[in-house]
Amino acid sequence: MLPFLKILVRNIIKGPATEAFPFGDTFTPKRLRGRAELNPERCLACGICSHVCAGGAIAMTESADGRGMEFRLWHNTCTFCGLCEHYCPANAITMTNDWHLSHEQSEKYTCCEVQFVEYPVCKRCGKRMLPHLHQRLAKGLVGAVNTAEIMQICPDCRRLTSAMQQIKSKTCFSTDRSNS
Amino acid sequence: MHKYLKQFVHKSPWLYRINAGSCNGCDVELATTALIPRYDVERLGCKYCGSPRHADIVLISGPLTTRVKERVLRVYEEIPHPKVTVAVGICPISGGVFRDSYSIEGPMDRYIPIDVNVPGCPPRPQAIMEGILKACEIWKKQIMEVA
Ligand code: SF4
Ligand code: SF4
Ligand code: SF4
Repeated sequence: MLPFLKILVRNIIKGPATEAFPFGDTFTPKRLRGRAELNPERCLACGICSHVCAGGAIAMTESADGRGMEFRLWHNTCTFCGLCEHYCPANAITMTNDWHLSHEQSEKYTCCEVQFVEYPVCKRCGKRMLPHLHQRLAKGLVGAVNTAEIMQICPDCRRLTSAMQQIKSKTCFSTDRSNS
Repeated sequence: MHKYLKQFVHKSPWLYRINAGSCNGCDVELATTALIPRYDVERLGCKYCGSPRHADIVLISGPLTTRVKERVLRVYEEIPHPKVTVAVGICPISGGVFRDSYSIEGPMDRYIPIDVNVPGCPPRPQAIMEGILKACEIWKKQIMEVA
């Protein structure tokens, strides 16, 4: 008898357990893996993401005029696994916590993340080339490392220096979501 | 359909669940939307039913495996018209991680007309509810069009 009363009182105080959604708000964890997003400014067109993609969701096609690469991620075969985000060397892909992806059949093939990654132009001959990581670095997009110094030292020292710089500048980009 | 009936029927579509070879991930989420009080799909006027003959909105999960294909199509045929089909999870939509496997006949829309897609592997319960809400609207339209 007594335990029942306890539960009754607790439930009356707590109110209904049902969420207001879809008539109101719902709780979305910050770390929820939802729609994947690409930042074309950061992307190196390296193709690692499409290589590791569990759902085969990422297609990368070079444009006919060689101006750049079209990145297409089809949400309808993405498993939200986050492998692309984890392996992307430039932190170009992020998993947002947007889960509002349901759509009608007519939009089946347009439910995509489409971005165009423009290739940089060679300073000497004007030809288009693949974006280098250090070009992305020079833009200050991958951490706040001192690129000029890093390009002149051996890989071992480079690793150490950039680690130290990242620790100091506290702009270390981590794909470890356990503390975010 | 009688005019009088039309006013009410669209308010409470009955849901029916078909598992076309799913890994059970999506089915667990589907059960969650209905069975745990936190999400409670019955607030939308929907109710799960046990027989395809009573169904109005069909929720299909799974990539349509070769073994289950004939049975799925047979059950689907038993559902009276009009009906709205919702593909839950990336499996029925595109084949998902099972695409191009030797034992997969999908994607589902090769055999069954799909109305709403809810991508995810699996989609979270709220996303499924959103899909069901879309399906309810289509269902309402279909009811109004039925002579
Ligand atoms: S998004 Fe990342 S992994 Fe994919 S091509 Fe661009 S840089 Fe490479
Ligand atoms: S989250 Fe996984 S399935 Fe989706 S695009 Fe990234 S690697 Fe592919
Ligand atoms: S979409 Fe993912 S969770 Fe759902 S049935 Fe397919 S593999 Fe399982």
